[in-house]
Amino acid sequence: MARSVAVQQQTQPSLSLLPSSFSDFNGTRLHSQVQCKRRVWQTKGALQVSASISKNILIMGGTRFIGVFLSRLLVKEGHQVTLFTRGKAPITQQLPGESDQDYADFSSKILHLKGDRKDFEFVKTSLAAKGFDVVYDINGREAVEVEPILDALPKLEQFIYCSSAGVYLKSDLLPHSEKDAVDPKSRHKGKLETESFLVSRGVNWTSIRPVYIYGPLNYNPVEEWFFHRLKAGRPIPIPNSGIQITQLGHVKDLAKAFIQVLGNEKASQQVFNISGEKYVTFDGLARACAKAAGFPEPEIVHYNPKEFDFGKKKAFPFRDQHFFASIDKAKHVLGWEPEFNLVEGLADSYNLDFGRGTFRKEADFSTDDLILGKSLVLQA
Amino acid sequence: MATLAASSSSLIFSSPSSKLSQPSLLSSSRLSLSSLSQLSPLSSSLSVSPSFAAYPTPSRRLFASSLTVKASAAGKKKVLIVNTDSGGHAVIGFYFAKELLGSGHEVTILTVGEESSDKMKKPPFSRFSEIVGAGGKTVWGNPAEVGKVVEGSTFDVVLDNNGKDLDTVRPVADWAKGAGVKQFLFISSAGIYKPTDEPPHVEGDVVKADAGHVGVEKYIANSFSGWAAFRPQYMIGSGNNKDCEEWFFDRIVRKRPVPIPGSGMQLTNISHVRDLSSMLTLAVENPEAASGNIFNCVSDRAVTLDGMAKLCAQAAGLPVEIVHYDPKAVGIDAKKAFPFRNMHFYAEPRAAKDILGWQGTTNLPEDLKERFDEYVKIGRDKKPMQFEIDDKILESLKVPVAA
Repeated sequence: MARSVAVQQQTQPSLSLLPSSFSDFNGTRLHSQVQCKRRVWQTKGALQVSASISKNILIMGGTRFIGVFLSRLLVKEGHQVTLFTRGKAPITQQLPGESDQDYADFSSKILHLKGDRKDFEFVKTSLAAKGFDVVYDINGREAVEVEPILDALPKLEQFIYCSSAGVYLKSDLLPHSEKDAVDPKSRHKGKLETESFLVSRGVNWTSIRPVYIYGPLNYNPVEEWFFHRLKAGRPIPIPNSGIQITQLGHVKDLAKAFIQVLGNEKASQQVFNISGEKYVTFDGLARACAKAAGFPEPEIVHYNPKEFDFGKKKAFPFRDQHFFASIDKAKHVLGWEPEFNLVEGLADSYNLDFGRGTFRKEADFSTDDLILGKSLVLQA
Repeated sequence: MATLAASSSSLIFSSPSSKLSQPSLLSSSRLSLSSLSQLSPLSSSLSVSPSFAAYPTPSRRLFASSLTVKASAAGKKKVLIVNTDSGGHAVIGFYFAKELLGSGHEVTILTVGEESSDKMKKPPFSRFSEIVGAGGKTVWGNPAEVGKVVEGSTFDVVLDNNGKDLDTVRPVADWAKGAGVKQFLFISSAGIYKPTDEPPHVEGDVVKADAGHVGVEKYIANSFSGWAAFRPQYMIGSGNNKDCEEWFFDRIVRKRPVPIPGSGMQLTNISHVRDLSSMLTLAVENPEAASGNIFNCVSDRAVTLDGMAKLCAQAAGLPVEIVHYDPKAVGIDAKKAFPFRNMHFYAEPRAAKDILGWQGTTNLPEDLKERFDEYVKIGRDKKPMQFEIDDKILESLKVPVAA
C-alpha cells in the first residue's frame, strides 16, 4: 500500500515558518541519495499572536550550532536579534545552500554584543544599558551565569533556556518524561541548578531539554563520528550489545521548538523535552548513517569497553546506556512536532556538511584500532 | 554475573503514583489544537507493507479536549465481550467488563468453551462472580455461533478478545455486522509489528503482513465504519491467567539467580491491565474519535528486562542476582526459558494519548508491590517448584545455586 502522506493545504499566516526557511540550507537535497518524503510543514495554531510583534531579543551564544539556525528564524520573523559572544568565532557565516541574498539580508540585520559572559559585572551593565524583551540562553552552563542577566533585565518578558535531557536520573523505566526525577549529581547539574534558579527568581522561564542534537554544523561528533568511518570504509566499533537505545533530534526541529515557545503562555514556566519522533539503537544508527549518506551497510564490531584502556579518549560518542525522552508534552502543549525523521535528517546533515568535505573534528581511529586489533588477535 | 542489592537501588519516580495523570495537559491543549483536523502520519519507515490494499492509514488528530469523557455524555452502551478462555489476554475482558459495569453500561461476557471446563477454575474466570455481582451477564459457548449463544440479544459494541486469526473472528464480525452492531473492537497484538532499528513501535508502522491478527484488522476495517484495533503487550494485574511478574518472584523469593537471555537491556512494555481497560472504555465512550484507528494498548513506559527483575526484587524487599546467558550457546529455546521476547519489543500508546486523551497509570514500582503482596497471600512463595531449564542454564555457566 502506498502510504498516502496527507498534506494539509492551509493558508499560511504571515508569520508562518515556511519550509523555504529550511530549504535555503537544503538546496542540495535534490541530489540526496535518499528518497525523502518531506511533508509540507504545517503551521500549528500554537504560534501565538504576540510572536508577531517584533521583539528585542538577546541570544547568549548563537554563532556555533543551535543559535545559527534559531537566529535566522528569529530575524525572518522580524525580531531584532543580538548575539552575545566573545567574538572568537565569526558572528555570522554563510551556510551551505544559503543564497547570497538571504545571507546578506541576515547578516545585515544581526547585532553583536561582544563580551565574556563570565564577566558578570559586564553582563549586568551591558544588558541593562541595552534592555531586551527576551533572552535565549543557548550556551549557559551554570546558574551564576544567569543571575546577572536577570538582575540586568527586571522587565524581561521571557527567559528561554537550553537545558539538557542529561539532567534526568538514569532509570530502568523509559522514556524520560518532564515529570521524572532528575539527578542532582549528573554531569549536567549546572543545567539543573540553572532551572532551579529560574524557578526561584519567579521570572517567566521556559526550559528546553534536548537529547542528542544533530544536523549540519554539529560540533559534537555524533553523526560525524559514523561518517568518518563509513567514508574510510572502516568497521564501526560499538560497545557491548549495540541494542542500547538513544535519540537524535535535528537542530532545525529544535530551532523551531525554540521559536514556538516564544511569547507562548503555554510555555510559561514549563520544561519541554525536544528531540526526534523515534528512538534508535546504536547498531541501527550506524545503519541509518550509511543509508542517509549512500554508503553500503557497515560492518559493526561489538566489544566490551572494560577490556580496554582508552586513556582520555572517547571510543564512542554516546553514553553507554539507554537514553531517550518522550516529546509528547511539546507535541500536545505546543503543537510542535519534528519535521525530520532520522534518515532524512542524517541525509540533510550529510548533504550540507560532511558530504561537502566539512567537519569539526579530524578522523581519529586510534581507539578503533585498539579494539579491532584485539578482535583480530582473538580471531587469529 | 551481577548481584544487585534491591535496597540500594535508586528511586525511580519522584512523584507518588496517584499524581501520574496530568490534567493540565488536557485543558491546555484546547486552544491550540481544536482547529487542527489532521496530523501527518508518524512512521519514519521507508519500507511499505504491500498487502494492505484497502487498509486505512490511521488518521491521527491531536486530542481536542472538547471530547468529554463520561458515560453519560456517550450514552449507556450494550457491550458484548467475546473472551478467550486462557492466556495472557484473558484478564483484559475481566477488567473491561468490570469497568464498563462501573460506568453504568450493560455487559455480557461470552467466554469460549464450557462453563464446566477445568479452565474456568483459573483466574480470572474463577472470579466471574464479580462480573455477575456488578450486574453483568456471563455466558459460555462457541464464538462461531455467537448469535445463538447470546440468544438474539442486541449490542451496540462488540469486543473480540479471543481470535488471533480471521477464521476465528470472521463469524463474530459477520454476525455483529448483520445484527447492527455499531462498534467492533478487536484485541490484536503488538507482536505483529516488524522489528525495527527505530523503536518504539508506533501505530502506522509496518506490520508482518502474514500475521493472523493483521488479517483480522483488515477485515473489520472493511466491514465496519466504527472499528478499532488494540495492540497489547504484556500485562500484570490481579486475575491474570498467565504468569508475568510471577516468573521473577518465583526465583527471587527462593533466592535463586534470575537468568535473563542476552544483555538484559532489551526493552519491553509491561502494563497494568487497568490501563488497557481504561483505553478500551474510552473508545466505547468516544466512538467517533476511536473509529478507524489502531491503538497500541500498552502503558506509557518501557522497562528493560534487567529493570523488571530489579523492580520485582524491590517490590519483594529482597536482593536479586541477575545472570545473563546466550540461549544458543547454552542450547535451550529462549521461548521456553523466559516469558518475554529476547529482543526489543516496545510499543508506545501514542494514538490513545493523541486521539482519546488517554493517560497511563501503570506505575511498576508501586503496582509490583501489590502484586507481590498477593503472590505471598496465595502462598505461592512457599509452593515447591522445579527449575529445570534454569538449572541447565546455570549449570552451563557454572553459576552456583543457593541450596
